[in-house]
Amino acid sequence: MANSRTDLMQGTLELLILKTLSREAMHGYGIAQLIHQAVDDVLKVEDGSLYPALYRMEERGWISSDWGLSENNRRAKFYKLTRAGRKQLNSESANWERVSRAVSRILQTA
Amino acid sequence: MKVNVLLKRRIRKRGDGAEREIEEEIRFHLEMLAQAYSQQKMSTDEAHDAARRRFGDVERVKNECLAIASRRSPFLVALKVFLIVMFASGLALRFFKMDSNVHHLGDVLMAVPTLSGLLLYVRSLDSSRFPSTSQGWPLRLNETIGPVFAAYDEGMRTPVERLISDK
Repeated sequence: MANSRTDLMQGTLELLILKTLSREAMHGYGIAQLIHQAVDDVLKVEDGSLYPALYRMEERGWISSDWGLSENNRRAKFYKLTRAGRKQLNSESANWERVSRAVSRILQTA
Repeated sequence: MKVNVLLKRRIRKRGDGAEREIEEEIRFHLEMLAQAYSQQKMSTDEAHDAARRRFGDVERVKNECLAIASRRSPFLVALKVFLIVMFASGLALRFFKMDSNVHHLGDVLMAVPTLSGLLLYVRSLDSSRFPSTSQGWPLRLNETIGPVFAAYDEGMRTPVERLISDK
């Protein structure tokens, strides 16, 4: 069973992916690397878990994919943000800010 | 009959294509990881093992991706559009044609897509076909460096619990 204390809010992984892709189109490995660097090992992200998230996000129209050549000339699938994805990123970021402000406020008063 | 066979073959071919794409994507990821670990002076075997550990369960990831990819197959999309058109035609016949025979045809045209839609919905709920989330939510706090975000006190109480008990 999942550890409820350390499991993060549903949608967090999607938000991290959307933010990562807001810079440029990237393949799954690149996204995983950037997320690992950004979260500085505070969060544990199993690399494989990115892919179902990417497929779900593509199904929802937030990202699109194309096969291309990677930096070492290997065939790789690149994901990029769509207009709907950018909109989703803005709304999710605002939501995250709201929730974290609310939680901080509770922590300060406790 | 022939059309049915051709259709099945086409769906299977598409499924194979999706599976190949997912496998290629995963293989690329694992090889890049192994390459990165090799640069940290690991042996080839160690690097591959470390890459697999960091990636997680390859089969589970592949099955989850395949399940999602199958939901957006053009065949399913076309089927849904066909059922919607059929339902709309039934609705139109039911309410705009007064002849009782045509009425019944309208009922049938509405019933078939309704039942098919229900079947498709129930089938999409059947997640037991795919061994997913056996390891829980994929994104977790790293416990080895302490509960950075966990707002619990020494007695493992949440802030709300603390508020209530301190009153």
